[in-house]
Amino acid sequence: MEATRQSQSTVEMRSPGTVMRLARLGSFHQCRLSFMRTLLRRMKRENWAFERPRFEIDEQGVGTAVYAVRGPERTYSLVCFGHDLPPEQRSDRVIAHAWDATFALFDGIPTRDDIERLSWNVPRQEAGRVSSREICLSRANRSVRLFEHAVDSLAAGRQPDRGQVEAVGYLMRTTAVYGSGKFGAADREAIAGRPEFAAPFQAEMLSVFLIRTFVLDLVEHLARCRAPETAVPFEPALRRRFGVGNSTGLGLAPFVVNHPVLFNNWIAARETALARVRSLPRTTPEQAAMFRAMLSRARINADEWRSEHSLQIQKLIMLKADLAHLEDHVAAGALDGHSPWDRLYIWAESNLSIEGQEQLVSLMLEPHGELVDALADHMGADEDAAFRIDGAMPLDRLAAILDETYGWALKIDWTSPDSLARVWYVSAEKLEPRLGERFEEPIEPYEQPLAPGRDAAILRRDLDRWEGDPTVAAFLLRHPEHRHIVRRAQITARFPYAEIRDNTISAALLPIDLLRCKLAFFGATHFDPRSDRWVRINMFQDAPFPHELSAADADDWAYPPLAAAAE
Amino acid sequence: MTFSLNEIEAMGKRAARGAGLPWGLAEEAGKATRWLTARGLPGAEQLAESLTRNDGADYRDLTPASADAVWQAPSGRLCPLVCGAALCDRAAEIAGGLEIATGPIAQPLLLAPFAAGAAKLTGLAIELSWAGLTMTVTPDGFRVDGDDMALTARSADGVRCRRAGRDVAGTPTGAPDRAIDAETWSRLDAFAQRTFAPATEASRLAGAGAGLTDTD
Repeated sequence: MEATRQSQSTVEMRSPGTVMRLARLGSFHQCRLSFMRTLLRRMKRENWAFERPRFEIDEQGVGTAVYAVRGPERTYSLVCFGHDLPPEQRSDRVIAHAWDATFALFDGIPTRDDIERLSWNVPRQEAGRVSSREICLSRANRSVRLFEHAVDSLAAGRQPDRGQVEAVGYLMRTTAVYGSGKFGAADREAIAGRPEFAAPFQAEMLSVFLIRTFVLDLVEHLARCRAPETAVPFEPALRRRFGVGNSTGLGLAPFVVNHPVLFNNWIAARETALARVRSLPRTTPEQAAMFRAMLSRARINADEWRSEHSLQIQKLIMLKADLAHLEDHVAAGALDGHSPWDRLYIWAESNLSIEGQEQLVSLMLEPHGELVDALADHMGADEDAAFRIDGAMPLDRLAAILDETYGWALKIDWTSPDSLARVWYVSAEKLEPRLGERFEEPIEPYEQPLAPGRDAAILRRDLDRWEGDPTVAAFLLRHPEHRHIVRRAQITARFPYAEIRDNTISAALLPIDLLRCKLAFFGATHFDPRSDRWVRINMFQDAPFPHELSAADADDWAYPPLAAAAE
Repeated sequence: MTFSLNEIEAMGKRAARGAGLPWGLAEEAGKATRWLTARGLPGAEQLAESLTRNDGADYRDLTPASADAVWQAPSGRLCPLVCGAALCDRAAEIAGGLEIATGPIAQPLLLAPFAAGAAKLTGLAIELSWAGLTMTVTPDGFRVDGDDMALTARSADGVRCRRAGRDVAGTPTGAPDRAIDAETWSRLDAFAQRTFAPATEASRLAGAGAGLTDTD
């Protein structure tokens, strides 16, 4: 999505200087373009078929299960391994070595030999090897609070306590979902040409969607094993209240910096959608009614959203106040008259917090699927196409790009220790990305290139000092240390939302902002930071299960149902 | 063992960084390794060879002293990664008819992915010649004419690079060979390990921001 896609808009897209700030990216919410929703809309539209060809799990939860999904051209199978995990080994950290359940998404229908091969490797995760027949590798741990309570209740013939279900929201948390060639799995380019995987992270989302089904089946199975006479299954509406938890640490954070074109395309799609909606001259009564209903459901969502983190608690207080304020404003006729959505957005800029503004952006897209949903087709990217440096570029053009797109960085005082406080590095331990203190730990020699603002400022200084031929090629021959940032600057000149316009090594950096932005694009809800660099979320909460998809609305689950408020 | 292209690129990038290349060149080294492997050429072996040979060297000594005449390294032998990047930076000039000639250079095959980059930027086929061999490179494929024993030569006395003079439509892309021998992989891994900070209990706790056990 190079340059801007404006054909259907009279209102301009928001500028990168507004959007690409960490405080705003860290306030994003899921929307129609989120990858979970894209996946479910496709599966419904194409009438995907689901079956469970194998479920050989014992009364401890140990064994193997296979879930197969058949699309128009291909079948994929989630191969699930249940384990008996001693409680002291249950860690969400990437440095863990054992899990309650491990999974591989297999390309096709696995034979007995395939499952045998996977059984020796998938339970070991990073320490094992998979092949190009596997697309994703993942694992999950039980929620100790809820899992046992749910099995116990069902075994006794009761539904689990609603309050406890709401307090946690999931029975298992994934602690990693690996794709794109990790540990020997299929490369992204091997599947990117398939329509079902053209949008980003569709295979990963499919894995999680099927993991959710496995987990619910597993709990019902364990309850039956425990008390065959009395056990009951979940009541269907309560069953849908369980999502899949996810615990995400710093590992995700570098991704959006390392995939600038892809990140641009995500942001550009959402900003294009917003500009299109803001450009509408009028709203229909149906659209207005849908917006009001979604707003009510967003209020329920905010009420259900729990966090113990002081920053998120503050943001939630503001979000709830914002949504009440917004509801009053809409009730007073904000959607009447000309250009209602544009006026509403402009009102929000001066009346709502950033958290509230971004919730409004997501809500404004809800009644406009016909304007928005097809943009999901433009959210993939070929990073390679923009990788090569244009050596013929004159240096005064490069300087102009830096002044325009990194102006924010050129204003930072880089001699201040606070500006340089952090170092992104990779630990030898399972290659875990970490963030350290430059002036307190001996880690600077291991620094990863994740500080474009600082690098741009140094490049700008060296351009001023350069006296050789005024081309990028001549400059880089003597300054190869600038190749990384010159590439980024040239990419950002073509893809305006490619670069975060904030200091990613500042003492004030909150890595959870990076995590939340990415997870919101996945479609996650209930961001619950556990520290400044680790967040828990819920995925697919309220979504239909595979067997319900043909009869259910595939895209009406991202906000909790109104009925939940009545109970 | 068989690796994904993603793993091979990541290893190439880390190894090049560990061997002392700046990040931008390391990124290009990773892409180069991937490009060669995806076309059935020994990218990982060539990279391991090049990094081993230049381990500890000052890369300024392996860089063309001037891009005006024949490209010569102060040390006497050019690094193909540095030289390849510089060559790709001249893509527009090569498209305009510039012919580049180098002096002695190590692992000339490592120039090919960079020539492919230039081909991609300009939409033209690019020709590399050394030791009785001509390799014609398009964005996706390549063709070798002449003595293909020289393809994986440890070094060449010189390489000539220019736009190809003839139509090379239908150039085969080559089939990937993602199997890499353990010795090559462990050589690359030894370089890559230099980029990883040793784990300490403090970094284990603070660096990732979470406790070691997590039960809820």
